[in-house]
Amino acid sequence: MEPRTDEVARKSKILQALEDQNTSVTLDDPLENDMILNMGPQHPATHGVLRLLIRLDGETVIGCVPEVGYLHRGYEKLAESCTYHEFIPHTDRLDYLSPMNNNTAYAMAVEKLLGIEAPPRAQHIRVIISELARISSHLMFLGSLAMDVGALTVWMWAFREREKEYDIFENIAGARFTTSYTRIGGLAQDVTPETLAMVKKFAGELPGYLEECERLLNKNRIFLGRTDGVGVISPEKALDLGLTGPGLRACGIEHDLRRASPYLVYKDLDFNIPVYEGGDSLARYYVRMDEMRESVKILQQVLEKMPAGEVHAFKPKKVLPKKDRVYTKMEELIHDFMIVNFGVEPPVGEIYSAVEAPKGELGFYIYSHGEGYPWRLKIRSPSFVNLQSLPTMMMGGLISDVVAIIGSLDPVMGEADK
Amino acid sequence: MGSNGKIIRKKDLNIWQKAYLTEIFKGLRLTISQIFKPKFTYLYPEVRFKPQPSFRGRPVLVHENGTERCVACGLCSRVCPALAIEVQASETELEKERYPIKFEINMVRCIFCGFCEEVCPEEAIIMSNEYELVFTSQEEAIFGKERLLKSTEEMKDRLEFLRAHR
Repeated sequence: MEPRTDEVARKSKILQALEDQNTSVTLDDPLENDMILNMGPQHPATHGVLRLLIRLDGETVIGCVPEVGYLHRGYEKLAESCTYHEFIPHTDRLDYLSPMNNNTAYAMAVEKLLGIEAPPRAQHIRVIISELARISSHLMFLGSLAMDVGALTVWMWAFREREKEYDIFENIAGARFTTSYTRIGGLAQDVTPETLAMVKKFAGELPGYLEECERLLNKNRIFLGRTDGVGVISPEKALDLGLTGPGLRACGIEHDLRRASPYLVYKDLDFNIPVYEGGDSLARYYVRMDEMRESVKILQQVLEKMPAGEVHAFKPKKVLPKKDRVYTKMEELIHDFMIVNFGVEPPVGEIYSAVEAPKGELGFYIYSHGEGYPWRLKIRSPSFVNLQSLPTMMMGGLISDVVAIIGSLDPVMGEADK
Repeated sequence: MGSNGKIIRKKDLNIWQKAYLTEIFKGLRLTISQIFKPKFTYLYPEVRFKPQPSFRGRPVLVHENGTERCVACGLCSRVCPALAIEVQASETELEKERYPIKFEINMVRCIFCGFCEEVCPEEAIIMSNEYELVFTSQEEAIFGKERLLKSTEEMKDRLEFLRAHR
């Protein structure tokens, strides 16, 4: 006992001395400490290389800092040394679950800068590929959310449907994953009638398969227990944080760029914007399931309206000429060489053009100095902006809710880190 | 089923759904019924995936009766986003006057975007339907002319597709 009392006395003497010098002293009690948990970047449930630093009080999350940048490839800087045409394959690798949407968004941004427009057939095909990409991305969401909360069957079924879609992409663009399909002023190639028949068949069958998945999930007590009331965000907070896409529409705010500022041929199409109240993971799941059905509706309408004609705008010096003319005509051959060597030279100026990607507002801001290269190209990627709402959603939740919340937010790190 | 704008929440479940056991059997019935549906996957090495003519496989050089169409203009090398193509031109007695004395594609760099095919003014480089590429070293992955050249007959499907849809 003797040394212990000695030690206490000595300690209190030190404390006394410190307090006399007007310093504040706090001593840690190991049992009351918060725990810092490092989740990721190599965690199977974080959807890519997302790293989360989570402060835990027992099992309750009391703080969260998302760390991004593990997949940073410097695309914005890279764009400054690529011609506008050369940058197209790089857009595939932003949101790699819906490359077609990125292709379309980028091509539309450059077209806006150049002041040209794609021909009607190209615009209709762009709507088709955008909606197919939306379905493919949402199917991935459906599968991964279900898997994150413990239902593996839905993952397999969602992937079966995505496989059919990739077959369609292979027929349309020639590649299943990195499509690089759109071009400035049009598309790489025309679609065949057989491909359109495949799209029609797919659109007809999809709602039935979605229903099967819903029968497994909608009234499933475990699924509801993991998502109902989990990761709630208020509409005001969502707007403050710049949340877009299904996450925002799950808070009861009807904002969809296809309706708010229609592009392509969306203003002629009849579709609803699914909106749900609650702002929790379950509402985000419902929004996406309904969006897939609306996409099917859009696909069916566009297939009926599909006009004939060219898929490439006829704009010499701006758009790559048609191949048969390159082989036979001198002027087109020169344009082919000029566009590839020096790039299309847009006027000096800046534009911002955005589309409704599956994850939210995907925008491209281009500043041009009149050269073949953009002076600055900024990508407003929805995943990156949506990630900052993660701490708000997680606050007060349990550690097991973290994966369900990430799953319901559906970030893609290729896009968030650029 | 469709949700008709209404979310089924935990509190909306009835006593049977809350008890869960009945739902397990309903779910199992649904998953077991999948067994009787036709198989969606195939066993890869035995059953091979046959690409469509629109498929962008590895790029090849087209030759007609042993002479390549390429005139070594270097446009493919310029447009290549991955900087995978190297062309060295030389002169020839033939009508086209120029030919590539060296044409190399680094298949490790190639991203199969098809831009070389798109800009080629001679229809000389096109994407084939080959997708199985295996190398054991970096050097082996650099394809020279001898591995790139394919005859027009071999590439008939792709050439026809390109003429119809480009």
